[in-house]
Amino acid sequence: MGLADELLEDAQFLANKGVRDDRQTLMRRAISTAYYATFHLFVEDFVEHWEFEDQRARLGRMFSHGPMRNAAFTPKEKKNPTAVEQDLLDVITAFGQLQKDRQRADYDSGWRLVETDVRDSIRLAEDVFIKWRKIKDEDIARHHLLSMFNAKWE
Amino acid sequence: MYLPSAVTKQAEIDAAVQRVQQAIGPDVLRIRYEIGEDWSGQWAIFFRIVLKDDAARRRLRDVATKVVWELARQLDFPAMGVFAYHNFRSESEQAVLQEPAWA
Repeated sequence: MGLADELLEDAQFLANKGVRDDRQTLMRRAISTAYYATFHLFVEDFVEHWEFEDQRARLGRMFSHGPMRNAAFTPKEKKNPTAVEQDLLDVITAFGQLQKDRQRADYDSGWRLVETDVRDSIRLAEDVFIKWRKIKDEDIARHHLLSMFNAKWE
Repeated sequence: MYLPSAVTKQAEIDAAVQRVQQAIGPDVLRIRYEIGEDWSGQWAIFFRIVLKDDAARRRLRDVATKVVWELARQLDFPAMGVFAYHNFRSESEQAVLQEPAWA
Protein backbone atom coordinates (compact mmCIF):
# COMPACT_ATOMS: atom_id res chain seq x y z
CA MET A 1 0.00 0.00 0.00
CA GLY A 2 1.39 3.41 -0.95
CA LEU A 3 1.59 6.56 1.11
CA ALA A 4 -1.57 8.05 -0.43
CA ASP A 5 -3.72 5.05 0.47
CA GLU A 6 -2.32 4.91 3.99
CA LEU A 7 -3.05 8.59 4.48
CA LEU A 8 -6.62 8.09 3.29
CA GLU A 9 -7.07 5.28 5.82
CA ASP A 10 -5.59 7.51 8.52
CA ALA A 11 -7.98 10.31 7.56
CA GLN A 12 -10.94 7.93 7.83
CA PHE A 13 -9.72 6.69 11.21
CA LEU A 14 -9.17 10.23 12.53
CA ALA A 15 -12.57 11.33 11.25
CA ASN A 16 -14.41 8.49 12.97
CA LYS A 17 -12.52 8.96 16.22
CA GLY A 18 -12.84 12.75 16.10
CA VAL A 19 -16.60 12.57 15.62
CA ARG A 20 -17.06 9.80 18.19
CA ASP A 21 -15.00 11.62 20.82
CA ASP A 22 -16.25 15.07 19.75
CA ARG A 23 -12.64 16.23 19.59
CA GLN A 24 -11.90 19.25 17.39
CA THR A 25 -8.18 18.55 17.01
CA LEU A 26 -8.78 15.06 15.61
CA MET A 27 -11.37 16.42 13.20
CA ARG A 28 -8.86 19.04 12.03
CA ARG A 29 -6.21 16.35 11.52
CA ALA A 30 -8.72 14.26 9.58
CA ILE A 31 -9.41 17.10 7.14
CA SER A 32 -5.74 17.92 6.76
CA THR A 33 -4.83 14.27 6.22
CA ALA A 34 -7.61 13.81 3.67
CA TYR A 35 -6.08 16.59 1.61
CA TYR A 36 -2.57 15.19 1.86
CA ALA A 37 -3.85 11.78 0.80
CA THR A 38 -5.05 13.27 -2.49
CA PHE A 39 -1.87 15.36 -2.85
CA HIS A 40 0.25 12.21 -2.62
CA LEU A 41 -2.11 10.32 -4.91
CA PHE A 42 -1.19 12.68 -7.74
CA VAL A 43 2.48 12.83 -6.83
CA GLU A 44 2.79 9.03 -6.67
CA ASP A 45 1.03 8.68 -9.98
CA PHE A 46 3.36 11.18 -11.60
CA VAL A 47 6.65 9.90 -10.27
CA GLU A 48 5.94 6.20 -10.86
CA HIS A 49 6.49 6.86 -14.56
CA TRP A 50 9.94 8.30 -13.93
CA GLU A 51 12.43 5.68 -14.99
CA PHE A 52 15.01 6.31 -12.29
CA GLU A 53 13.57 4.95 -9.09
CA ASP A 54 16.18 6.55 -6.83
CA GLN A 55 15.13 10.00 -8.09
CA ARG A 56 11.38 9.64 -7.61
CA ALA A 57 11.18 11.09 -4.11
CA ARG A 58 13.16 14.12 -5.24
CA LEU A 59 10.92 14.56 -8.26
CA GLY A 60 7.86 14.35 -6.02
CA ARG A 61 9.14 17.22 -3.91
CA MET A 62 8.90 19.47 -6.97
CA PHE A 63 5.11 19.49 -6.71
CA SER A 64 3.67 22.47 -4.90
CA HIS A 65 0.18 23.18 -3.71
CA GLY A 66 -0.64 26.36 -5.65
CA PRO A 67 0.06 25.13 -9.18
CA MET A 68 -1.69 21.84 -8.40
CA ARG A 69 -4.85 23.70 -7.43
CA ASN A 70 -4.61 26.21 -10.27
CA ALA A 71 -4.27 23.63 -13.03
CA ALA A 72 -7.36 24.33 -15.10
CA PHE A 73 -9.33 22.18 -17.50
CA THR A 74 -12.15 23.10 -19.86
CA PRO A 75 -14.19 20.38 -21.59
CA LYS A 76 -14.58 20.58 -25.36
CA GLU A 77 -18.30 21.24 -24.91
CA LYS A 78 -18.63 23.17 -21.67
CA LYS A 79 -22.32 22.38 -21.18
CA ASN A 80 -22.01 18.77 -22.23
CA PRO A 81 -18.82 17.19 -20.89
CA THR A 82 -18.05 13.55 -21.62
CA ALA A 83 -18.04 11.12 -18.69
CA VAL A 84 -14.24 11.25 -18.50
CA GLU A 85 -14.25 15.05 -18.64
CA GLN A 86 -16.88 15.19 -15.89
CA ASP A 87 -14.79 12.90 -13.69
CA LEU A 88 -11.77 15.15 -14.20
CA LEU A 89 -13.83 18.26 -13.40
CA ASP A 90 -15.07 16.56 -10.22
CA VAL A 91 -11.50 15.70 -9.24
CA ILE A 92 -10.37 19.30 -9.79
CA THR A 93 -13.27 20.75 -7.81
CA ALA A 94 -12.81 18.30 -4.94
CA PHE A 95 -9.05 18.84 -4.79
CA GLY A 96 -9.51 22.63 -4.59
CA GLN A 97 -12.09 22.22 -1.84
CA LEU A 98 -9.88 19.86 0.13
CA GLN A 99 -6.94 22.22 -0.18
CA LYS A 100 -8.99 25.18 1.06
CA ASP A 101 -10.42 23.20 3.97
CA ARG A 102 -6.95 21.88 4.84
CA GLN A 103 -5.67 25.45 5.04
CA ARG A 104 -8.52 26.36 7.33
CA ALA A 105 -8.22 23.25 9.49
CA ASP A 106 -4.54 23.91 10.03
CA TYR A 107 -4.61 27.69 10.55
CA ASP A 108 -8.08 29.01 11.40
CA SER A 109 -8.39 28.46 15.14
CA GLY A 110 -11.82 30.09 15.10
CA TRP A 111 -13.36 27.41 12.92
CA ARG A 112 -15.80 25.33 14.98
CA LEU A 113 -15.96 22.07 13.11
CA VAL A 114 -19.00 19.85 12.92
CA GLU A 115 -19.44 16.26 11.85
CA THR A 116 -20.58 17.24 8.35
CA ASP A 117 -17.35 19.18 7.75
CA VAL A 118 -15.32 16.07 8.47
CA ARG A 119 -17.57 13.60 6.69
CA ASP A 120 -17.57 15.81 3.62
CA SER A 121 -13.79 16.00 3.47
CA ILE A 122 -13.54 12.23 3.69
CA ARG A 123 -16.19 11.87 1.01
CA LEU A 124 -14.32 14.26 -1.28
CA ALA A 125 -11.01 12.47 -0.81
CA GLU A 126 -12.61 9.08 -1.45
CA ASP A 127 -14.23 10.44 -4.59
CA VAL A 128 -10.90 11.81 -5.83
CA PHE A 129 -9.28 8.40 -5.35
CA ILE A 130 -12.08 6.55 -7.15
CA LYS A 131 -12.46 8.97 -10.04
CA TRP A 132 -8.77 9.62 -10.57
CA ARG A 133 -7.98 5.90 -10.68
CA LYS A 134 -10.76 5.43 -13.20
CA ILE A 135 -9.45 8.10 -15.58
CA LYS A 136 -5.73 8.36 -14.85
CA ASP A 137 -4.66 6.63 -18.07
CA GLU A 138 -6.82 8.88 -20.25
CA ASP A 139 -5.07 11.57 -22.30
CA ILE A 140 -6.80 14.46 -20.55
CA ALA A 141 -5.82 13.10 -17.14
CA ARG A 142 -2.18 12.66 -18.18
CA HIS A 143 -2.12 16.22 -19.50
CA HIS A 144 -3.80 17.49 -16.35
CA LEU A 145 -1.14 15.86 -14.22
CA LEU A 146 1.48 17.75 -16.21
CA SER A 147 -0.46 20.98 -15.68
CA MET A 148 -0.46 20.28 -11.93
CA PHE A 149 3.27 20.04 -12.22
CA ASN A 150 3.14 23.54 -13.75
CA ALA A 151 4.02 22.38 -17.26
CA LYS A 152 2.81 24.87 -19.89
CA TRP A 153 1.03 23.82 -23.07
CA GLU A 154 3.12 26.15 -25.26
CA MET B 1 -7.98 46.73 -8.48
CA TYR B 2 -9.17 43.58 -10.24
CA LEU B 3 -12.71 42.47 -9.48
CA PRO B 4 -14.13 39.27 -10.97
CA SER B 5 -17.29 39.59 -13.03
CA ALA B 6 -19.09 37.47 -10.40
CA VAL B 7 -19.23 40.60 -8.24
CA THR B 8 -21.51 42.30 -10.74
CA LYS B 9 -23.63 39.20 -11.39
CA GLN B 10 -25.19 38.68 -8.01
CA ALA B 11 -28.75 38.83 -9.34
CA GLU B 12 -27.86 36.06 -11.79
CA ILE B 13 -26.24 34.05 -9.01
CA ASP B 14 -29.27 34.53 -6.73
CA ALA B 15 -31.59 33.28 -9.45
CA ALA B 16 -29.37 30.28 -10.15
CA VAL B 17 -29.22 29.42 -6.47
CA GLN B 18 -33.01 29.44 -6.31
CA ARG B 19 -33.23 27.16 -9.32
CA VAL B 20 -30.73 24.75 -7.78
CA GLN B 21 -32.71 24.62 -4.54
CA GLN B 22 -35.89 23.89 -6.45
CA ALA B 23 -34.20 21.23 -8.58
CA ILE B 24 -32.79 19.37 -5.60
CA GLY B 25 -35.82 19.62 -3.38
CA PRO B 26 -36.34 19.53 0.36
CA ASP B 27 -32.95 18.01 1.27
CA VAL B 28 -31.48 21.50 0.82
CA LEU B 29 -32.90 24.00 3.28
CA ARG B 30 -30.93 27.01 2.08
CA ILE B 31 -27.88 28.10 0.16
CA ARG B 32 -25.94 31.20 1.16
CA TYR B 33 -22.85 32.55 -0.55
CA GLU B 34 -20.30 35.29 -0.55
CA ILE B 35 -17.61 36.39 -2.97
CA GLY B 36 -14.14 37.17 -1.72
CA GLU B 37 -10.52 36.15 -1.84
CA ASP B 38 -9.53 32.70 -0.67
CA TRP B 39 -6.50 31.74 1.42
CA SER B 40 -4.20 32.10 -1.59
CA GLY B 41 -5.52 35.54 -2.57
CA GLN B 42 -7.54 34.21 -5.53
CA TRP B 43 -11.13 35.27 -6.05
CA ALA B 44 -13.68 32.71 -5.05
CA ILE B 45 -17.34 32.17 -4.34
CA PHE B 46 -17.98 30.44 -1.04
CA PHE B 47 -21.27 28.54 -0.88
CA ARG B 48 -22.68 27.55 2.51
CA ILE B 49 -25.35 24.91 2.19
CA VAL B 50 -27.62 23.87 5.04
CA LEU B 51 -29.07 20.38 4.65
CA LYS B 52 -31.85 18.55 6.40
CA ASP B 53 -30.41 16.38 9.15
CA ASP B 54 -31.34 13.16 7.41
CA ALA B 55 -29.71 14.26 4.16
CA ALA B 56 -26.49 15.29 5.94
CA ARG B 57 -26.28 12.06 7.92
CA ARG B 58 -27.42 9.48 5.40
CA ARG B 59 -27.17 10.92 1.91
CA LEU B 60 -24.34 13.44 2.08
CA ARG B 61 -22.49 11.98 -0.91
CA ASP B 62 -25.52 12.06 -3.21
CA VAL B 63 -26.92 15.39 -2.10
CA ALA B 64 -23.60 17.24 -1.98
CA THR B 65 -22.63 15.94 -5.43
CA LYS B 66 -25.97 17.06 -6.84
CA VAL B 67 -25.62 20.53 -5.34
CA VAL B 68 -22.09 20.98 -6.72
CA TRP B 69 -23.07 19.72 -10.17
CA GLU B 70 -26.24 21.80 -10.35
CA LEU B 71 -24.48 24.99 -9.31
CA ALA B 72 -21.75 24.34 -11.90
CA ARG B 73 -24.40 23.65 -14.53
CA GLN B 74 -26.20 26.91 -13.79
CA LEU B 75 -23.17 29.16 -13.29
CA ASP B 76 -19.98 29.36 -15.35
CA PHE B 77 -17.50 29.95 -12.54
CA PRO B 78 -14.35 30.16 -14.69
CA ALA B 79 -16.04 32.80 -16.89
CA MET B 80 -16.99 34.69 -13.73
CA GLY B 81 -13.37 34.67 -12.61
CA VAL B 82 -13.93 32.69 -9.43
CA PHE B 83 -13.21 29.25 -8.01
CA ALA B 84 -16.24 27.72 -6.31
CA TYR B 85 -16.10 26.29 -2.80
CA HIS B 86 -18.98 24.42 -1.17
CA ASN B 87 -19.34 23.72 2.53
CA PHE B 88 -22.22 21.83 4.08
CA ARG B 89 -23.75 21.49 7.50
CA SER B 90 -26.93 20.05 8.90
CA GLU B 91 -29.86 21.95 10.28
CA SER B 92 -29.17 20.72 13.83
CA GLU B 93 -25.46 21.59 13.59
CA GLN B 94 -26.37 25.12 12.59
CA ALA B 95 -28.92 25.27 15.41
CA VAL B 96 -26.07 24.66 17.85
CA LEU B 97 -23.52 26.94 16.18
CA GLN B 98 -25.95 29.78 15.39
CA GLU B 99 -23.61 31.35 12.86
CA PRO B 100 -25.31 34.29 11.10
CA ALA B 101 -23.51 33.60 7.81
CA TRP B 102 -25.34 30.27 7.59
CA ALA B 103 -28.74 31.54 8.74
